[in-house]
Amino acid sequence: MREVDVLVVGGGIVGMAAALDLARDGRAVAIVDDGRHSGTTANAGSLHVQMQSRFIRLYPDLAPNVERSLPLYVAGAARWRELAAELGADMEIKQSGGLMVAEDEAQFSFLAAKCARERALGLDVHMLDRAELSRIAPYLGEAVFGAELCREEGKLSPLKANEAVRRALDALGVLRLGETRVGTVARDGVGILATLEGRSAGTLRTGKVMLAAGSGTGALAAALGVRIPTEAEPLHMNITEATTPLIGHLVQHAERMITLKQLGAGQVVIGGGWPARFTGADAFPTVDPASMIGNLSLAQHIVPRLGALRVIRTWAGVNTTADGQCILGPLPGWPEVFAAVPGDAGYTLGPLVGRMAAAILSGREPGHDVSRFGVERFAAA
Amino acid sequence: MSDVTFTFEGHPVAARKGQTVGAALAAAGQLALREARTGGARGIFCGMGVCQECLVTVDGMPNRRACLEPARDGIHVRRQAFPGEPPGASRGTPPIGFADLAVERADVVVIGGGAGGLAAAVAARGCGLDVLLLDERSTAGGQYFKQPAAALREPALDRQQADGAALRTRADSAGVRVLDGAEVVTAIDAGSVLATRAGRAFIARGRALVVATGAYERGVPLPGWTLPGVMTTGALQTLWRSYRALPGRRILIAGNGPLNLQVACESIDAGASVVAVAEAAPLASGERLGALTRMALADPALAAKGGGYLARLRRQSRLRLGVVCRRIEPAPAGGLRVEIGPAAGGPGESHDVDIVALGYGFQPSNELLRALGCAHDWDERAGLLRTRRDASCETTVAGVFAVGDCCGLGGAPAALAEGTIAGVALARALGGAVTAALAQEADRAARELARHRRFQAALWEAFAAPRLGLSLAAADTVVCRCEDVGKAELLAAAADGDPAIGDVKRRTRCGMGRCQGRYCGPALAEHLAAQGDRPLDERAFFAPRGPVKPVTIADLVGGGER
Ligand SMILES: Cc1cc2nc3c(=O)[nH]c(=O)nc-3n(C[C@H](O)[C@@H](O)[C@H](O)COP(=O)(O)OP(=O)(O)OC[C@H]3O[C@@H](n4cnc5c(N)ncnc54)[C@H](O)[C@@H]3O)c2cc1C
Ligand SMILES: Cc1cc2nc3c(=O)[nH]c(=O)nc-3n(C[C@H](O)[C@H](O)[C@H](O)COP(=O)(O)OP(=O)(O)OC[C@H]3O[C@@H](n4cnc5c(N)ncnc54)[C@H](O)[C@@H]3O)c2cc1C
Ligand code: FES
Repeated sequence: MREVDVLVVGGGIVGMAAALDLARDGRAVAIVDDGRHSGTTANAGSLHVQMQSRFIRLYPDLAPNVERSLPLYVAGAARWRELAAELGADMEIKQSGGLMVAEDEAQFSFLAAKCARERALGLDVHMLDRAELSRIAPYLGEAVFGAELCREEGKLSPLKANEAVRRALDALGVLRLGETRVGTVARDGVGILATLEGRSAGTLRTGKVMLAAGSGTGALAAALGVRIPTEAEPLHMNITEATTPLIGHLVQHAERMITLKQLGAGQVVIGGGWPARFTGADAFPTVDPASMIGNLSLAQHIVPRLGALRVIRTWAGVNTTADGQCILGPLPGWPEVFAAVPGDAGYTLGPLVGRMAAAILSGREPGHDVSRFGVERFAAA
Repeated sequence: MSDVTFTFEGHPVAARKGQTVGAALAAAGQLALREARTGGARGIFCGMGVCQECLVTVDGMPNRRACLEPARDGIHVRRQAFPGEPPGASRGTPPIGFADLAVERADVVVIGGGAGGLAAAVAARGCGLDVLLLDERSTAGGQYFKQPAAALREPALDRQQADGAALRTRADSAGVRVLDGAEVVTAIDAGSVLATRAGRAFIARGRALVVATGAYERGVPLPGWTLPGVMTTGALQTLWRSYRALPGRRILIAGNGPLNLQVACESIDAGASVVAVAEAAPLASGERLGALTRMALADPALAAKGGGYLARLRRQSRLRLGVVCRRIEPAPAGGLRVEIGPAAGGPGESHDVDIVALGYGFQPSNELLRALGCAHDWDERAGLLRTRRDASCETTVAGVFAVGDCCGLGGAPAALAEGTIAGVALARALGGAVTAALAQEADRAARELARHRRFQAALWEAFAAPRLGLSLAAADTVVCRCEDVGKAELLAAAADGDPAIGDVKRRTRCGMGRCQGRYCGPALAEHLAAQGDRPLDERAFFAPRGPVKPVTIADLVGGGER
């Protein structure tokens, strides 16, 4: 039987980032990941800072939670830069700014109000009229009236970033068991015993457990009698063939669901929360052609030159939603089991949330106010 | 006889009406088209719209496939630097949703107008069903019938083309609604697909689907296989049979299977000098005699045809058995220098040629079937996934039928028989009027299918040769042609930990390019399976995701031109 100090369930960005810190502390760490429902391998690599209108529209009652978390996103983006430097890795991080575009005056005033609130929270945000916009973003089409610019926003390549963190984990000797599912975790008198299913089936004994299982966290917690309402949200993504540098910013819309940006390798990644669906007995995330049409149509409406490019691939990935805020800390009644789930735009937050989770597990100060993020809040609800 | 003139890099090129830009350029000796990510030129490889190696800029529009782009008078064609830039002045169109797309309804939607699709359409139509057939090419017919482009107004070259034309006429006169030039983008559900035609997207919706999307040639990476002038045997055949273009005078053909022999003979008839034919199977060895006999018993005419090709090539070319193409490099005096010899090593021979055609078997175009969730099983002998079907060619997804080579390779006679069987079976299921004559035809097709499957089994026993996988590639040979991922890099990523195929894709970008991993994916999947002791099930391959082929955003959302 394998024995480790900490079992991290879930090999997404949060689990990997937490494992990195734990291993650096000298602990024996295992990451077990079933490789099925990862947001980390599928995400678009947008560094989000300003509030996403998608979230405000979908879950208006949760918007205050997101708003309170905004400073965390600034720190999250900063942590990505720091991590790239620590690992000496080129993750193609670019904080060249994010534009949220408006198509008319009404949308513009919605953004202006949002901008004022975000500015009060310390974000580097500005409103741009059409003339200013044409100067810095000539690729935008006539349909665009104005925009909110958030300078801290940008992008990175999840392909490069994930790979760099994985290599660092391997170099530290972290045990990574892929295509393997954690079935149950239970106390066995000595510590915690986890059963593993799949490619590395067996059992594993550990002192502590970190549940960084994204949308799978709720089920694992439920088996321990603890409520964590994570939901799996399948999302649609599109990517075009590569082209010459065209789009310099992360582009979003004040009212409609879209994010688009150009990767370092030249492809334009288009997403923004359009739904995918689960199909088959094993709930395989599957793309929805309706999302492809709606999403791409909007993209060429905002950036007309995209019309001439070909989309070469779509994919579906699984996002995790709960109440818009991070979930961090021990499970009630299980002081050796910790939750680590990021809030909305969780890839931006991933390394920071992983770091905070590792600190909490190790009894250190997480460095940010996490008082609202505890698991207890759901029991009360 | 040129009736079209266009420019290439500013110089006039004469073409015939009906030819593609790629065919006209090939006939003019212009083989280098797009620039690759890491530099170097690429040219026509698959000749059928799959590989994306032939991209050119046409009147400022990047990423046009020369092998499909019609040669029109006065257009300006340019080589495409990597990565290709969209035209500056563009207007977007107002946002639309799925509900805004036109819907074409029918009882049955048939995807693919080759032997299988046409036969299915004719049979279903014969039972009174309303049949809509979509084919991406300008002239349906598929890879076996390879119809000459209509505008060329060329007579059929031979029986094979004449049969195809007759079947197409049968479909048209029976009232099958054939939409030429309609490219299926992705599957929506078990009855409908999303397609584009002439710059517009639409939904084709039926009560049943027949998937008959055929196959494409297997990629066997070997040093020099990305050089312009190196193409698949099928591409060479299409250039001549569909467009009457010969891409070069001196040709060497290497591969495995009878298509190479046929194309070699056709090329000689077309006036080319076929310098050598390298067949990987030893063929003549003693233990294969039994297989040859069984072939002759199952289908004497087809077996005799094959024997005829071999005899001709012995006289009119250099026929080399048990020999593969080991490397290709630019020849000092222009053209290509090819080395052929035993795969295991040992002395080979070298030839200077203009064109190398490679034909190491096929891969089924099963993307739609896999995306629809139809079950597949690995066929170790053929080295491909076979679609699981019942005797009526229905897949494991109710209402989705699959016929022909897209289900695993079976050959044109099998595709024809399967089409008839499926067409009649789905007519029964949908309440069509199955006449006694049609029921008899389906029974005959079932017997014909059994016979042809016996023939195919014996054929591939006779032509059995080790699958080459990545074995011919050198460390620096590009395996993923789109993203320029070399063998050494790929194998290093595959050996680092215990990665699944998606992990290797994300680490190296192998399979992320425009062709969607069609050439690198199968070889990588087999490599990972062998290395990590994984089953070669559906999960061992890249996930099936639309679009099946790259499609311009404007075409998809309604702003497309033409
Ligand atoms: C920044 C970024 C850029 C990208 N760029 C590209 C790009 O340019 N081109 C591109 O192709 N992709 C691209 N991708 C997508 C890439 O393939 C994956 O990273 C992405 O996670 C999701 O891909 P997927 O779901 O299609 O496949 P995978 O992540 O591989 O997941 C699918 C899983 O399903 C399994 N599977 C296969 N077939 C079936 C079946 N029939 N039923 C059930 N399961 C099956 C597979 O084995 C695999 O485990 C990009 C991703 C990112 C994050
Ligand atoms: C299509 C898409 C685009 C996105 N784009 C962005 C973006 O641009 N910017 C941004 O900031 N965020 C984005 N997100 C959100 C972001 O990807 C996620 O919030 C983030 O990756 C979550 O990381 P994680 O480590 O918490 O969880 P995940 O990456 O989801 O990882 C959890 C892992 O745990 C595994 N698991 C679950 N249960 C078990 C079990 N019992 N045993 C073993 N393993 C288990 C899962 O399969 C999964 O692999 C996007 C999400 C999606 C789906
Ligand atoms: S040669 Fe044109 S796509 Fe392959």
